[in-house]
Amino acid sequence: MRSRFTTALLLLPGLAFLLVGFLVPALAMLLAPPGTDTADIFVRLGQMLTDPYDLAIIGRTLLIGLIVTVVCVGLGFPIAYLLARTPSRWSGVLLALAIFPLLLSNVVRTFGWLVVLGSNGAIGQLLTGLGLVDEAPQLLYTPLAIVLGLTQLFLPLAIVTCYSAVTQVDPGLDDAARGLGASRGRTFRDVVLPLSLPGIVVAATLVFAGSVTAYTTPYLLGGSGNRMLSTQLFTYSSVTIDWASASATAIIMTVLVFVVSGISSVVGRKGATA
Amino acid sequence: MNERRPVAATLAVAGYIIMIVPILFVVATAFTGGETLKFPPEGFSLRWFGEALSYQPFMGSLVTSLEIAIISTVLALAVGVPVTLAIHRGALPGRGIVENLFLSPLIVPELVVGLALFQQLIVTFRIDNFPVLLIGHTALLLPYAVRVTGAALAGSDPSLEEAARGLGASPMRTFWTITMPLLRPGIFSAALLSFITSFNNVPLSLLLQSRETQTLPITMLDYVQQSYDPMVAAISTLILAATVVIAVIAERTVGFAKIFGGIGR
Repeated sequence: MRSRFTTALLLLPGLAFLLVGFLVPALAMLLAPPGTDTADIFVRLGQMLTDPYDLAIIGRTLLIGLIVTVVCVGLGFPIAYLLARTPSRWSGVLLALAIFPLLLSNVVRTFGWLVVLGSNGAIGQLLTGLGLVDEAPQLLYTPLAIVLGLTQLFLPLAIVTCYSAVTQVDPGLDDAARGLGASRGRTFRDVVLPLSLPGIVVAATLVFAGSVTAYTTPYLLGGSGNRMLSTQLFTYSSVTIDWASASATAIIMTVLVFVVSGISSVVGRKGATA
Repeated sequence: MNERRPVAATLAVAGYIIMIVPILFVVATAFTGGETLKFPPEGFSLRWFGEALSYQPFMGSLVTSLEIAIISTVLALAVGVPVTLAIHRGALPGRGIVENLFLSPLIVPELVVGLALFQQLIVTFRIDNFPVLLIGHTALLLPYAVRVTGAALAGSDPSLEEAARGLGASPMRTFWTITMPLLRPGIFSAALLSFITSFNNVPLSLLLQSRETQTLPITMLDYVQQSYDPMVAAISTLILAATVVIAVIAERTVGFAKIFGGIGR
């Protein structure tokens, strides 16, 4: 086990796979898509960053990603906090209910919103049935629908990540703060929240990265009027077969994710030492 | 807990509604006797389950999905477990760098990986869609295989293996009697997680498909776009039921939380 030769032998098949199945294609894509000049990609990239139509798509993607991140952390942290700090016979079931959606197909989960938000869907029928509105409001194919769908997809991830952060904060510290006269709210604000901050940052990063790259949700719930970078990328690569635009979109998407991950790892490290 | 923390409890209820309620609506509409996706459903019937199970595109793509999920899970474990051994037990300088290298497919958006594989392997090198789907899915699963089996090894003491060797066991015997039992729960968790991840995948399958190699999630997306009947609700309910079975197996064997403990990090 200890020899270098054996170690190299163990790594070799994995490395070969990683090179062929990921590293080489990903790098080659940036340099030369088939039948396209590398220069074309960067020309197209420049156009996208100035063209109002493309900028609107980038802006929508960013805005929706930010809103979903705030909502997921805003809902996920309290859930994780309650699950971790108020043990009851229900907390096991509730934790399982929060983890289970991670196993379930995105298509199945997103499809549910068609039934809820569609023109013959539950909300529309309820509102018209109660006589509150004459005609069911347009809920599907709106940015709101995308936000709801993405929140449903990524909330479990936020809960799981925040939960492991909160459980690492010693409950004895809560008791100490309370014993010294801090209110419940103050204990939460000054003890639990700052100590779980690195976990919250990780959760936010995962949700943001997931939201700005998700395809199923904007495709099913956004319609043609609410395009995001992911649906554009698919259109360029499989409908219009425009390699330069597809690669440029892929670069924008990847850079977005990398920049946000980079910022959050710096913030997370600062938070951990503060 | 509701009286004492009203704000947190309200947010928690809202969160659970968003996570769970749409799934319940899928199940409710699957049992409709009516013609359209409508709520409340008209009557009760199992007809849409029958229709879904006899709809060839769904069943054909289900077989494709299962083939891809099983083969790529086996491949990812076959190349991933040796990598885990090298990282945790081998003579490896720069172990952290190697580990991060194998986790790197996680940080690049899947659509981008799909586009890259499509352009380079299918268009440039003219490899068939099916092998490229397998390569793509395996590359995607490799981080899970390495990380989840690694978690099983990281928690164990390498001096166990040294003791076995010192007592005269051959390297092979040491592996099968000491290392393998330590790895087994990790391999099982990684296999479950990999199978589900591959089966549910949309971005890679979307970009790498051909008409003959369409997977079930992609076929469902296409179908929803064309027609608005409850057949997709029925197939979704069947997928939900199968997922519940897998979740129960996971809970009974290695424990649910253990499998997912590593995902967030």
